Amino acid sequence: MAEQTETTIEDPRVNPSSPSTARPQQAASRVPLAQLRSLILPSFRRYRLRVASGLAALIVVDFLQLIIPRFLKEGVDALAAGSASTSQLFRLALVMVAIAIAVVLLRFVWRYLIIGFSRLLEQEVRNRLFGHILLMDAPFFEKHGPGDLMAHSSNDLGAVQMACGMGVVAAVDALVMSLAAIAFMAAIDPMLTLLALTPMPFLAIATRKLSARLHRRFTTVQEVFSQLTEFSRTSLLSIGLLKAYTMEAFQAARFDKLGQGYVRGNLKVAVIQGLITPLATLAGSAGMLMVLYFGGRLVISASITLGDFVAFITYLYMLIWPMMAIGWVANLVQRGLTSLNRIHSLTASTPLLVDPPAAPGQAMVARPGFVVEHLTFRYPAGATPVLNGLSLSLGPGIHGITGRTGSGKTTLCRLLTRLYPVEDGMLFFAGSDVNQLPLDYLRAHIAFVSQEPVLFSDTIAANIALGRDGASREEIVAAARAAAIHDDIERLPESYETLIGERGVKLSGGQRQRLALARALLCDRPLLIVDDGLSAVDTATEHQVFSGLREHFHGKTVIVVSNRIKLLSMTDHIVVLADGRVEDQGDHDHLLRVNALYRTMHDKQMRQDDSGERQP
Amino acid sequence: MMDFGYSEEGHQGSLGDLRLWRRILAYASSYRMALVAAVLLSLFLTWATLAQPYLVQTAIDRYLTAHEMETAARLSGLGWNSLYYGLLIGLVFFATFAQILLLEYVGQWVMHRLRQDLFAHLLRLDLPFFNSRRTGQLVTRLTNDIQNMNEMFTSVIVTLFNDVLRLAGILVLLFAMNPPLAAIMALFVPLALLITVFFARLARECFRDIRSQLAKINSFLSESLAGIAILQLFHRQNASRATFFALSEEYRRRTFTQIKLFGIFMPLTEFLGSAALAIILWYGGGEILQSRLTLGELVAFISYMRLFFQPLRELSQKYSVVQSAMASAERIFQLLDSKRHIDEPRLPLALPDPRGKLEFRGLRFAYDEDREVLHGLSLVIRPGQTVALVGTTGSGKSTLVNLLLRFYQPQEGSILIDDVDISQLSLERLRTVVGVILQDVFILQDSLLANIVMDTGRGRDEVEEILASTGMAAFVARLPQGLDTPIGEGGLELSTGQKQLLAFARVLCRNPAILVLDEATAAIDTESENILEQAITDSFRGRTSLVIAHRLSTIRRADHIVVMAHGLIVEQGSHEELLQADGHYARLVAMDLKNGL
Repeated sequence: MAEQTETTIEDPRVNPSSPSTARPQQAASRVPLAQLRSLILPSFRRYRLRVASGLAALIVVDFLQLIIPRFLKEGVDALAAGSASTSQLFRLALVMVAIAIAVVLLRFVWRYLIIGFSRLLEQEVRNRLFGHILLMDAPFFEKHGPGDLMAHSSNDLGAVQMACGMGVVAAVDALVMSLAAIAFMAAIDPMLTLLALTPMPFLAIATRKLSARLHRRFTTVQEVFSQLTEFSRTSLLSIGLLKAYTMEAFQAARFDKLGQGYVRGNLKVAVIQGLITPLATLAGSAGMLMVLYFGGRLVISASITLGDFVAFITYLYMLIWPMMAIGWVANLVQRGLTSLNRIHSLTASTPLLVDPPAAPGQAMVARPGFVVEHLTFRYPAGATPVLNGLSLSLGPGIHGITGRTGSGKTTLCRLLTRLYPVEDGMLFFAGSDVNQLPLDYLRAHIAFVSQEPVLFSDTIAANIALGRDGASREEIVAAARAAAIHDDIERLPESYETLIGERGVKLSGGQRQRLALARALLCDRPLLIVDDGLSAVDTATEHQVFSGLREHFHGKTVIVVSNRIKLLSMTDHIVVLADGRVEDQGDHDHLLRVNALYRTMHDKQMRQDDSGERQP
Repeated sequence: MMDFGYSEEGHQGSLGDLRLWRRILAYASSYRMALVAAVLLSLFLTWATLAQPYLVQTAIDRYLTAHEMETAARLSGLGWNSLYYGLLIGLVFFATFAQILLLEYVGQWVMHRLRQDLFAHLLRLDLPFFNSRRTGQLVTRLTNDIQNMNEMFTSVIVTLFNDVLRLAGILVLLFAMNPPLAAIMALFVPLALLITVFFARLARECFRDIRSQLAKINSFLSESLAGIAILQLFHRQNASRATFFALSEEYRRRTFTQIKLFGIFMPLTEFLGSAALAIILWYGGGEILQSRLTLGELVAFISYMRLFFQPLRELSQKYSVVQSAMASAERIFQLLDSKRHIDEPRLPLALPDPRGKLEFRGLRFAYDEDREVLHGLSLVIRPGQTVALVGTTGSGKSTLVNLLLRFYQPQEGSILIDDVDISQLSLERLRTVVGVILQDVFILQDSLLANIVMDTGRGRDEVEEILASTGMAAFVARLPQGLDTPIGEGGLELSTGQKQLLAFARVLCRNPAILVLDEATAAIDTESENILEQAITDSFRGRTSLVIAHRLSTIRRADHIVVMAHGLIVEQGSHEELLQADGHYARLVAMDLKNGL
């Protein structure tokens, strides 16, 4: 009997929890096959010996399996003719067992070689994909969200691996088995062979059609399943809110609706699944029926022997799997190609930010600054420009940047850190157009604290030392002290070695922000950009941290985005942005006089002044 | 507190747990008829599957090898035989299809009911329960564990039942034909079972290793993607690449372990089949030579052998499925059995027309046994009065709200609304009388209108009226599609201020007698803040209101300010009085209110 794959045609229950399998097959613009091949061909070439030997083993197994019925036939014929002897039967049985042992060994060989190859290929493509992603710029990530990329990494790679592993095996196996089995059958009786095979093409076509449809319905079910998961997750996360608003029954009713949809989707899948399996059996049995009736007539008319008849039946059984496999393989290959196409569209995309080649030995600038000239910028997906002819000079010193939501503060930070491309002649770093400078060279000058602190699942110490490998514990502690997080860290169970992130300790928003600041301080770079990075820290701590920063960053450039007047008043130079332009700039007192927004913010935040607060 | 033994993989349910089976069957009992039909189909299918080789055998023995018969009689006999065979395979097709659908139907609806029960049960449980559980765990119960149990209905009944039945049937037939040969064949059963069960165990571990490594890759990837800008700015690409490659290599290594395992075991069952075939030929052939077996019987033996090994392989595969399904069932029922800590009164009072008097009487409360948060707090709020709660983090302000909503039960003391102890009210009534606006909102993925109305059944006009009367119409007017703007995932993302406005509108729809506001601590954009101030002024008028205040403007609007510290009220009075007193409050104000979150 032919090799069965361990993954059946498609079982929706195989992996119900796989993350977002539910990605509709988007019709990414078709890419010529030659380009797609470039993704996997190098692996095929590198492992050509492995693949070739694996395939050879597979083909030998197929032939050995086909030989077994020959011995059976010999035995039955001898028995029917009455010429059989015990020793002859014993010899036949022994040969059959010997062949079976060879089959076991060779099967191990091809599995190890071919399926192993598909895993190696998967690994190569996965690594290539990740390496590529690391090089991409912000516009790319705007287009491909994390969920999207995660799906590529798990599902698409899986599909490619399946197509190149089991897909190749099943295709070769099915081809060899069916051709050989048909040949053997034809050798016994060509006409009977044709008759026995009549149901098979129908089976192949039906399997192909059905499993394509099954895949679609299955995708829908998976989508509903992830909705169901997400719904219960968010409900349970916000259980307090649900209870406070007595939404229990309401939520349960919505859950019920989703659940019913899920049941219906599953039943739709079951209809197809319920057809595929019995259909295969039916096709096999129909072939049997043909052999029984017509073959039986041939035996009666003595055109073929009874041994032929029995061997015929055995070969017929051998054909059922290859026929089902053809439909399955076609789907597998198609899915693999679609996935390959998507992976290709990722690896083929180039960053919009062009990185000029590094001029060798470019020295670091000790006191760098930015000059912004008529900077206009719109996001790739945006219709209106976010920055609109903004001009600004940010030399050594402490700069505060403020403005309403959407005035362009964060965008400015993103451009300064070169996450998005800018046009020539708009942004200058230490006197050179940024487009002339290698990204890594420019970024090596900047320490950055983002709005949302980004921490990784690792120890506290490793998170702080992210920008400086090999920083000593003293340096790490010093940075933590400067960011006023040291005491908090000391209180954690394992101090600096405490794991944070998914499996570790949860930190508060303020703690996370101070940790991100400590990381930036440890880098000790000449330029510090803080994009509203201490919004969750109370003002007293913020005050303390910034007083320290003033000394630390004396003569360097610090750019701080904030909406807190107290913080802004501590800077040397404040810029108020509005609609992507500089509305006003100057020191605290100047802005209080000239800028209406700044004054309003001040009045709101400092209202306690005129309500009797005694300032120190 | 009871622990559920959160061991998704390690723990295996016991197949012999009758109590568990009874509960599962109780759920399935409303689908009794369908299940009986499925069992009948099973019996039919077993009979039909076994009848097929029998028909071939009779054809061989009666007609093909019957050289003494007339050719015409042999041909017509063969014709009839073939006709029966054709009818049989048609019936098998339809019966199999019907059985698969039937069981899927029953399984899915039973699971739906179970999932629904579990979800409703979870929603009824109180907050202390959730504090000791991880959400992910509970979600797993609701989704994957139930999914696992579904296997019980489709796999257990179909496969176990069909396969066991078929195996038994085959053995009976074989024994009837030739007892010694049948006995030899029967030896293959324990052998094959042993191999496959052993294999199933190894394979499970193998898959678990692979899955956990894939999960590692995925979480590393997800973290890297979330922090890609930071990675690039801090020049971590090479280090990340190295980590990823190592993870990926380990994954590849684990898949190779699986390949080897499958490489050894998958061909082994096939080998057993070939060996059995060889024995049949050798031994059976010998029996024919001694005329103890007919040639047709030998061919039938060979066919049955083929039928024999297929269920054997499936049985062992399903064995582990059933085991994990039982484990899931156990976890689900345990969760369904968990009790809540706060009891609702058997005969709740209606409190038909609340005036809104609110009294906290000698409250003592601790979340953990050893750390008391409230130490005998008392406070009376007159109907229509607005009280601002002020104090530093940990002073017990939020705890007070948690107790008022009966999320937790005070260890001592009571809370009264209109002189009625809130434990005399149903939770639903209590939470309708007391409307809360928390810092966070639960947003449905729907229009703004649907998010405001929820299940109150209010009309669009009413909502518009409420919004207009509290100045919140301006908030809606600023949204692209007004009340019809889709919000939540995939829709408009609301700012902190807008979220609080939504919560406000939502609560006002319920027209509560007592309003509780937990003011947002995070910065709110100026425009939202202006609207909010207006809304607070308008909606507090004529309502008993309790505000956990962070903004001076809100505090000054209150009739009465209550300053809390370390679980006690340390000062109360008006803004001016308290500033005069130059105590806690004056210090709090001086320290900048933002500090006193």
